[in-house]
Amino acid sequence: MNSIFYTLVAVLSLFIFFKLAKVKASNKQLKRDNRINRFGIKKDNGNIIEGKSTEIADDEKK
Amino acid sequence: MSKHSAINRFGRSANPAFTKNFGSTSSDIPLEQRMTLDGAVNKTGILLALCFSGAFIGWNIPALMFPAMIIGFILAMVTIFRNPSKSGSTAPLYAVSQGIFLGGVTLFYESSFPGIAIQAIALTFGILASLLLCYKSGLILPTENFRLMLASAIGGIFILYLINFIMMFFGSTISLITSNSLASIGFSLFVVGIAAFSLVLDFDFIEEGAEKGMPKYMEWYGAFSLMVTLIWLYLEILRLLAKIRSR
Repeated sequence: MNSIFYTLVAVLSLFIFFKLAKVKASNKQLKRDNRINRFGIKKDNGNIIEGKSTEIADDEKK
Repeated sequence: MSKHSAINRFGRSANPAFTKNFGSTSSDIPLEQRMTLDGAVNKTGILLALCFSGAFIGWNIPALMFPAMIIGFILAMVTIFRNPSKSGSTAPLYAVSQGIFLGGVTLFYESSFPGIAIQAIALTFGILASLLLCYKSGLILPTENFRLMLASAIGGIFILYLINFIMMFFGSTISLITSNSLASIGFSLFVVGIAAFSLVLDFDFIEEGAEKGMPKYMEWYGAFSLMVTLIWLYLEILRLLAKIRSR
């Protein structure tokens, strides 16, 4: 009886693993600043705008 | 023409250290050659099936246990330090050889404590599924500090096991590892905990690799690292259960 119970637990756990592992992790897990960066690839910084920079003169505003 | 004048003047470097994709985005790898979550999970399934097949052999021919353990250890070292890109061929061989070793070890424990094998298997897969749930939901957040803490704990355990191994040649052992005292059971629980938390790092490795579009062979490497941790976890659970039942 015990063996049947443990076999069921093992099979069910494996089923959960194979179903759940293919699902992407939650935003709480993926979108945080303190993630481990193993591959040395930095995330794109959304504040940087590519292209030529131009100086903004105060006179232009006026 | 590239927008970088240095590339126009000198051409692209053929030095592997610079072409390994470190520090750059993986956008130059074609989409179908990038690592995916599905691929890594499927490969873990293949390795698990191979490990079970090996365990069947080891269970029936226990004499193969020690040669298989040594071959498995060499294959693991080759995969980790020598050539991770060849893990597609070394990881399945590793799974089979470690399976044979586990089959022999399990037979040894099962003959002393009947029913221990299925308990250890259920606990190992139970921990695997519950920790995956904790990871995916964001309940456990692996950080650089988490990794450092685990690495130092694993290093400490490894040194202790190494000392115990050397002491065995002189007819002695560390009782904290081998006896069935309460302190020894506590130590085993601690080691099981460390092995279980290592699974979280493996999940994060696979998730990050897939997210950043690493090369396809990293699917095998991710599955291999998960197998290494699972095998370690199973052995520690087996040892813990044996200690508890021998009291």
